[in-house]
Amino acid sequence: MDFLDQFTITTLRASTPIILAAVAGLFSIRAGIFHLGIEGLMLAGAFAAVAAGTASGSVWIGLLVAIAVCLILSVLYWVVIDRLKADAVIAGLGLTALCVGGTAFAMQVIFGRRGQMGSEVRLPRPVTGPQEGILGYVSELTIITWATPILILLAWIVLRRSRLGLQIAAVGDYPYGAEASGVNQSMVRLKALLITGFGCAIAGTQLAVGDVAGFSENMTNGRGFFALAAVLFGGFSAVYTALAGLFFGFADAFGIAMQLFDQSGLPTQFVLMAPFVLTIIIVTISGAVKKKRGTS
Amino acid sequence: MDFMHRALSAIFPVIAAFILAAALFALTGYDLYEVTAGVIEGAITGYGSFWSTLRWAMPLLLIALGVMFALRAAEFNIGGQGQMMIGGLGCVAVALLVPGPAWLVMPLAVLTGMLFGTLWSLLPGILKIRYGADEVILTLMLNFIAVLFVSWVTTGPLKDPAVRGESASTPKVDEALRLSGGDGMSWALLIMLVVAALVAWLIAERTKTGLQMRFVGEAEKAARWQGINVDRLKLISYALAGLFAGLAGAFEVLGPNGRLVTGATPTIGFTAIVVTIVGLSRVPGIVFAALLFGGLQAAVLFLPIVSDLPSSGLKILEGIIAILVTAELIRRRRAG
Amino acid sequence: MAIALECKDVDVRFGAVHALKNVSLKLETGKIHALLGQNGAGKSTIARVMSGVLTPQNGTLKIMSKPVVTGSAAQAQAAGLDIVHQRFALPPTFQVGEALEFASARKMGGVVFSKAKTDSAWAARLKEAGIDIDPKAKLADLPVETIQSIEIVRALANDADVLILDEPTALLSPSAIQDLFNNLRDLRDRGVTLIVVLHKLKEVMEIADTVSILRQGALVMEPTPTSELTAEDISKTMIGEVVAAAPLAHAAPTLASKDVVCAFSAVHSPTKGGEIGLRDVSFELHAGEVLGVAGIEGNGQRALAEVFAGLTQPTQGDLSLNGASLEKCSIAERRTLGLRAVPFDRMTEGAGLTVSLWENTMTWIADRFRRFGPIVSTAKMQTDAATLLDSYGVVYNTPTQDGQSLSGGNLQRAILARELTGTVKAVLAAQPTRGLDFNSTNFVWQELNRVRSDGAGVILISSDLDELFGICDRIMVMRGGAVAGVLEPEFSAVQIGAAMVGAT
Repeated sequence: MDFLDQFTITTLRASTPIILAAVAGLFSIRAGIFHLGIEGLMLAGAFAAVAAGTASGSVWIGLLVAIAVCLILSVLYWVVIDRLKADAVIAGLGLTALCVGGTAFAMQVIFGRRGQMGSEVRLPRPVTGPQEGILGYVSELTIITWATPILILLAWIVLRRSRLGLQIAAVGDYPYGAEASGVNQSMVRLKALLITGFGCAIAGTQLAVGDVAGFSENMTNGRGFFALAAVLFGGFSAVYTALAGLFFGFADAFGIAMQLFDQSGLPTQFVLMAPFVLTIIIVTISGAVKKKRGTS
Repeated sequence: MDFMHRALSAIFPVIAAFILAAALFALTGYDLYEVTAGVIEGAITGYGSFWSTLRWAMPLLLIALGVMFALRAAEFNIGGQGQMMIGGLGCVAVALLVPGPAWLVMPLAVLTGMLFGTLWSLLPGILKIRYGADEVILTLMLNFIAVLFVSWVTTGPLKDPAVRGESASTPKVDEALRLSGGDGMSWALLIMLVVAALVAWLIAERTKTGLQMRFVGEAEKAARWQGINVDRLKLISYALAGLFAGLAGAFEVLGPNGRLVTGATPTIGFTAIVVTIVGLSRVPGIVFAALLFGGLQAAVLFLPIVSDLPSSGLKILEGIIAILVTAELIRRRRAG
Repeated sequence: MAIALECKDVDVRFGAVHALKNVSLKLETGKIHALLGQNGAGKSTIARVMSGVLTPQNGTLKIMSKPVVTGSAAQAQAAGLDIVHQRFALPPTFQVGEALEFASARKMGGVVFSKAKTDSAWAARLKEAGIDIDPKAKLADLPVETIQSIEIVRALANDADVLILDEPTALLSPSAIQDLFNNLRDLRDRGVTLIVVLHKLKEVMEIADTVSILRQGALVMEPTPTSELTAEDISKTMIGEVVAAAPLAHAAPTLASKDVVCAFSAVHSPTKGGEIGLRDVSFELHAGEVLGVAGIEGNGQRALAEVFAGLTQPTQGDLSLNGASLEKCSIAERRTLGLRAVPFDRMTEGAGLTVSLWENTMTWIADRFRRFGPIVSTAKMQTDAATLLDSYGVVYNTPTQDGQSLSGGNLQRAILARELTGTVKAVLAAQPTRGLDFNSTNFVWQELNRVRSDGAGVILISSDLDELFGICDRIMVMRGGAVAGVLEPEFSAVQIGAAMVGAT
């Protein structure tokens, strides 16, 4: 494998969980919920996949349990912010803290491990291509990475070509219109949060039993927050959000490659910063445009 | 009456979280008596325990005092983490690079830390107030940028040459500049903390700026009709938030850490927000809440000695408090 | 003639407010029916009951002779009735085709749909209605009259027999109103029954076949053919008998002086948040007079108050206080100069509900309580607040209690205490007695009268003609952001009503 192949693989591996979490998070943000619990949901999904996978010996059972756990946590979050009217940002950060603590706690209580544990199952890699040559890297990708484009397409269809998508957008953009059109806003928010939870479970599974096999404390390491940045960066469109996630992964891979090969002395941190700086610029411009529209 | 309502609304989620966490620990087979005794010993009664509680309450208290101003002005500044790191960066740069007598360099380093924190917070403040960009996103992004920037400084320009490889820390600052020793707390720091809390209280409760800031946060429209300069006060709230977070960063550098470390306290900014909310955005409440969370942190470091309860138990507790603390329904029910 | 819509004994209360009092109404098919009334008369409320958006406490509803359960929009739609609200249901961030597919009871596609198909189906519908527009256009980029005609297509897509339009002309330009009316006539000729909520007499006379009038929640005119009525009949019925029995009526209102305190000269201001701006407003406020501002709500009263207080900058023209231009004066500077305002909404603009009484009254002048450097004495602020509140007869326990602990009347007293103390040259009071009981209302009038006797000029914005007639020296009528006339005593309800609705 040459450098370019390796670089492509690293980019795809680094970006898969971010893309999945970002596209999942898009549903909540579209429904008007700035969901800072995504980080925690991914982590919970990662742990559940490793724990259930290891216990049952099947990676698929791991995936299913991860999905179940994330859906339950999403309902909990919905109850707190929609029924109990808690602040979505604070409760989201709280959900993340709960998952950071809860996964580490569960790991120790159930498996007696501190810090990290290995997984006995891994996601299959559907393509077993040649180990050498231009396309050698395809055999390095998990089934979830392969499925990611399909999931993005599905997300796009739901958001742009389904009644639910229109309802989610209306609830987020223009609650008055949703109410006037007889939409049950609470239920739409619940559906959006459940979709987010579902996607975070897949993202977490990929993270823990995809390219590495194991769980470590706080292993998401901010990816959930990066995913939110990708949503804003991608301007609320499923495809652009996914591309933004890819860009985050690219920046990550670029940073790694620079550490290994670069002699120019440009610090990798600045490469990694680029997506965040761009997000700030984009958010500021869109805020300014909105403000101008509002006053004129 | 109003005060009782609000106090209950803050205390109830804390108690609920303790009960839920205790139930969880009991269900998973931990001896609650042993854990409780361990927490009390680790936070209060043990040798050096209270000192350790104060050490961990310090950064929480300072950042929370800053967050208090932001929340009072109804600005959701969640950038305490980044403001603290950038403050620490300014402080360590002066402490390492500026030659001179300690009596001059030390205050200069602290002031630089405060200035850096302030500037780092004013940036999102200006972008929010001038251009209407969402401050939650801005401050979140700036937290990541701060972490990466500090990571670059500690592995690049200000890297500790004594450590080989990818060390993520600056060299130690001169002993003469330190405000505390290895145990993290000193009488000098404690006195400065008390002064900081008093100053924050005076600004918040006894100046025109503080009174009008709260008025803006509670009743922005009424404030406008009364000729109060809403934008200016909101901007000041950002400056004060950054100032106190920067001070926290400076104290960490010159106090317990003695150097700038990357990723030393990754979620302290978030805990500080919870401290502010539990403390009802009032200085005395925040002092209590900071001591509570500082004590829990101290207990967590102590617990492994007496019990095998994992330190992650604390995060669970913190998470439950944060999830519940803003829930209005519970508030109302509690308040009757 | 068949009956398109019948409601019987409809009664609606919002808390203490009796919004609809046993209204029974029968509207025939194939006609344009106007519902007319002043603000708060209940015309939008009855429209919301008819469309199932609002559940009445009592009453029955029949649509196209079929009884329907009240309070169910879905049932009303199924029976053939739809409504175009004053505020549009189509989300402005959506494309036209998406918005229609979302908001209409009629769906062109399935749960998952092909956008090409729904777009072309909606484009065809729009074309049928004479609207030639790309279904991919974004609603926010379209002019308001286009959005409104799309709303009508949306409401009729489900083959509605009865269409209600709530204040459809409120945001339209005169030529757009003509287009809308032509469109409505076409619809009527195709057999659709239209119920149009209006408040302008001229429009009623022009478009409606029948008119029904509501006043203070009661139906005061059964559906009557407009051909049998004169503009004067209608405006009289709408305004009702004005009993100028306000307790403080000036025996013989005379202008105390001709000194001008505050003057607006050719002021224009921008439309803000859907509220119409000022259009070429000029007037003079004299020392020692109460100048009333009458007009149907939403005709520039808010803009007048905001420009006066300094919250909105005029785009053209200028206002002055005692001859000095206020162009460069901040709100705070205006207040120091003696320009005060009692805002419309006492719960959000007048006072902070979650802020203590002393903060509500003293924070804006916190500077005056400085002791050491920037440190202020809050103890002095509290005692001063207590003195102030006492002198205005506010009933309270302690100045540290929150604003929300006061009743409406007490809160208004506290606001007046703040606004009418110190240098007071010109005061604007916006709806200061709305929702208050008799005693508090009386108190507000007394206080306004007091500052007037002290030589200040008072502007009183009110939709209560009794109030205006009782305490005003002159009454200015606003319509469409402009001054429609300034009246002097003896005031006549007919004259004011005519100016308000533009019948002159």
